[in-house]
Amino acid sequence: MGEGAPIDCQAALERVYEYLDGELDPDWSEKITVHLERCRKCYPYFDFERIFLDHIRSRGFVPERSERLERRLLEALREVE
Amino acid sequence: MSEEHDKKAQFETEALVHLDVLYGLALRLTGGDASRSEDLVQEALLKAYRAWDDFTLGSNCRAWLMTILRNTFINEFRSQQRRPQSVEFDEVAERSVFAELERSDPQGEFFERIIDAEVIAAIDELPEDFRVAVVLSDLEGLSYQEVSEIMGIPVGTVKSRLFRARRRLQARLYRYALEMGYLS
Repeated sequence: MGEGAPIDCQAALERVYEYLDGELDPDWSEKITVHLERCRKCYPYFDFERIFLDHIRSRGFVPERSERLERRLLEALREVE
Repeated sequence: MSEEHDKKAQFETEALVHLDVLYGLALRLTGGDASRSEDLVQEALLKAYRAWDDFTLGSNCRAWLMTILRNTFINEFRSQQRRPQSVEFDEVAERSVFAELERSDPQGEFFERIIDAEVIAAIDELPEDFRVAVVLSDLEGLSYQEVSEIMGIPVGTVKSRLFRARRRLQARLYRYALEMGYLS
């Protein structure tokens, strides 16, 4: 079946996050990749959503230091027999 | 030197070095609640200490601890879900802000100007159901299937929560950028 039947914008848009999350099966993923190569409307939109997700992912999770917690923990551990 | 003493020393060098990461994760799961996060990390690490003999040295300690922390949080989270927490439907936030930016900033350059603290505040302020899905998926990098199993909800629900959570985040960051004058 090759790359399969072409899909329309609506079918691509509905799957934007699944596509960007790598959650689509290979067949659907390929269909969307092909659609994005050809569709001047969808490509910038997908790109925007990808940039947005990258920001959330790279900036949302930061290690935080808490000296109070560290002291509390060492104390709690000391009490464990 | 007692065996217990050796175990503690080993636990401190192997596990406690990940304290900051665990606390960071706890803060996002709890939506920035410092005292709840401290309790959570302490409970998780004491569990880890009791299970330390089962941990294989040399395997990924950080991942092991994060799993314990996550499970500790989820048990509490699930027991609080007896009353179904309905998240009100916010139609405006269902749209992508791309429609507004298509001409002026299609590459989302305004995101660069938003400070990290604002991104974090946006995540923290999501309704808990949404926030947990985002933390597990976007911050921890878990698959839909994994998030579904952890949260005890169908994969379809994971998808819709992520969709709506992300749209809310986007809308909030967009509003912030407008207020700050990053966008005209």
